Amino acid sequence: MKKLLAILICKAGRFVGKLVGRGSSLPGKYALRICPDILRQVTLPPLVIAVTGSNGKTSTVEMIAAILQAAGKTVVYNEEGSNQIEGVTTTVLTHCTLGGVMKADVLLIESDERYAVHSFQFFHPTHFVVTNLYRDQLTRNGHPEWVFDALSPAMFPDTRLILNADDPLSACFGVNRDNVKWFGLERCSISTETPSGVYHDGAYCPVCKSPMEYRYYHFNHIGSYFCPECEFARPFEIDYAATELDLDEGILRIGEGLTVHLAFRSIYNVYNILAACAVCRECGVPGADIAKTIDNYILKNGRMVRFLLGAHHGMLLTSKHENSIAYDTNLRYIKATEDPCTVVVIVDAVSRKYYTSETSWLWDIDFDLLNCEQVERVLLCGQYASDLAVRLSFTDVPGEKVELHPDIAEACEALKNNGAEDVYVLTCFSDRDKLLAHVEKEAV
Amino acid sequence: MELRFLHLYPDLMNLYGSWGNLAILRRHLEDMGNTVTVEELRPGDAMDFSNADFVFVGAGTERSQKAAIEDLVRFGKELRSAADDGVAMLFCGTAMQMLGQSVTDAAGTYYMGLRVGAFSSQQGRKRFVGDVYGHTDLYEEPVVGFMNSCTLVSGIVTPLVTKLSLGYGNEKEQGPEGFRKNNVFASELTGPLLVKNPPLLRRVISAIYDRRGEALPEELPIYRMEEEAYATACRELLARLETE
Repeated sequence: MKKLLAILICKAGRFVGKLVGRGSSLPGKYALRICPDILRQVTLPPLVIAVTGSNGKTSTVEMIAAILQAAGKTVVYNEEGSNQIEGVTTTVLTHCTLGGVMKADVLLIESDERYAVHSFQFFHPTHFVVTNLYRDQLTRNGHPEWVFDALSPAMFPDTRLILNADDPLSACFGVNRDNVKWFGLERCSISTETPSGVYHDGAYCPVCKSPMEYRYYHFNHIGSYFCPECEFARPFEIDYAATELDLDEGILRIGEGLTVHLAFRSIYNVYNILAACAVCRECGVPGADIAKTIDNYILKNGRMVRFLLGAHHGMLLTSKHENSIAYDTNLRYIKATEDPCTVVVIVDAVSRKYYTSETSWLWDIDFDLLNCEQVERVLLCGQYASDLAVRLSFTDVPGEKVELHPDIAEACEALKNNGAEDVYVLTCFSDRDKLLAHVEKEAV
Repeated sequence: MELRFLHLYPDLMNLYGSWGNLAILRRHLEDMGNTVTVEELRPGDAMDFSNADFVFVGAGTERSQKAAIEDLVRFGKELRSAADDGVAMLFCGTAMQMLGQSVTDAAGTYYMGLRVGAFSSQQGRKRFVGDVYGHTDLYEEPVVGFMNSCTLVSGIVTPLVTKLSLGYGNEKEQGPEGFRKNNVFASELTGPLLVKNPPLLRRVISAIYDRRGEALPEELPIYRMEEEAYATACRELLARLETE
């Protein structure tokens, strides 16, 4: 009876919520209050895929859904990214019959790293994808090892883990465990002998804290690592490996002769694609079908927006504040461009979800990447423009290229009235609308 | 002056842009006409603090901290005598805990500390996080920062931040934060504490001059952007404080 009531309340709540444009976690919250173990009482689809990690969750989930749907499966997923237990409950119950049977082939869940163990106390995912564990939102998460420890109990023995072999910390989930499949990128055109970035989170072994060595790096501390002391290392056999990558041409080759063209030529996109491919292959989708869906796939989540501002063609590269790897990746993207450009960095509200004036994370970002010829000007905007200016003063970016514009509207106006060079904007969800309000969006 | 800095465990204890502390201190001292050399020391290296003008250890994860502490206790005696002798030091984040008698991790494992201070640290499974606004006995202006710790530090009678109006201190919310002894400065406030707090940076500079017996120039360099960033944090946190 409680079960039926919880399902009814959740469905009704979701219906009303959609009408008034409210978030999707509240109906689940009420349902859990009525029937705390409702998730144990419903019949889930045969495939339950969870995706977690610091970066790339939403994009990976979107691509997994696209591939599985193209393969004819019905997929239910939390598109709105309500990724704690309340949101998961809403997603599950609104897609249940009144008898509590989910009408889908696949339940796909984007899961918050720290709350996964809570969300999955009543059912275990059949597949758990970990995209990576990076420095991210210290104000909520502490540090990557803390997140690792929080996530660890959710790596149930009966769940098949799909892990990023190139990230030493997330690879630790696979230590002494059989039920694992690995994805990764072999040595290729982007590989280097030295790490990039301001800090090196692979300098010491995450298992024994002895100095770790690398055969090559792809970016930051991601690459082929091994610990001479305890023998922890990137797995020798990668189940789903990309063998070739040409970021200039936008071509990625995966295992069994599959070629994927990249709509967005960022290393980020490559790892998200690899994660999505790996789990979809595990779910029985043939490689050729995956490649067909993912070829030139344009993400719909709006992380990248093209716009016009006066005579400028602009591109918004959404970068999570408090996440240096996200920033570094987008800075590298700019560095790889050729035409003269202006770069705008906006830090106005550190987070949209909570208050903080914490700016330490700026010191983890490799702003030296902006020290290249085609970057003609760097505009620093928002309330924390002076923090950005202090940080930039510790790079080799020439001071005369750096301009302070705390007022975002004024910065846009100044740009609009002057010049026609390309514009790249780096900022977070919390601040991007402050830019988008002043520009004309273009189709990607 | 020719100044010798020791940066201990630069790639092990390097969370949250801790390196900014060393970078900004170096810049200011160089702009005052000094020459600064920075020696990086890693686990296993021999360490001699007697000729150092400044010893710096940044923040690290709890696991990295254990690796650092197990290495540094080899030189506990030398570090204590340098501290007694007035060598300027800054220990940030989890590095501060190393200066105490002991650190006990969440599982109950005990680690001997460097015993510079008569305090001890107990780590747990919950993190205390939040912006911090407070005052120190060292100067008039406020101290700003961000606390992110899973550790209760008890027994400190000479804190760095003597009074907190916002955020977590060593043992409790709005309790005192950090540790200070002679010219040893320590704080669990994350990241580039000296960048965020120009008055504290000037205090460390003054400690370095003191130890050398050199007179501090009457006017220290002031950088407009650094002061503005500090003013922004002070204004924001004060406004936050008033709404709470």
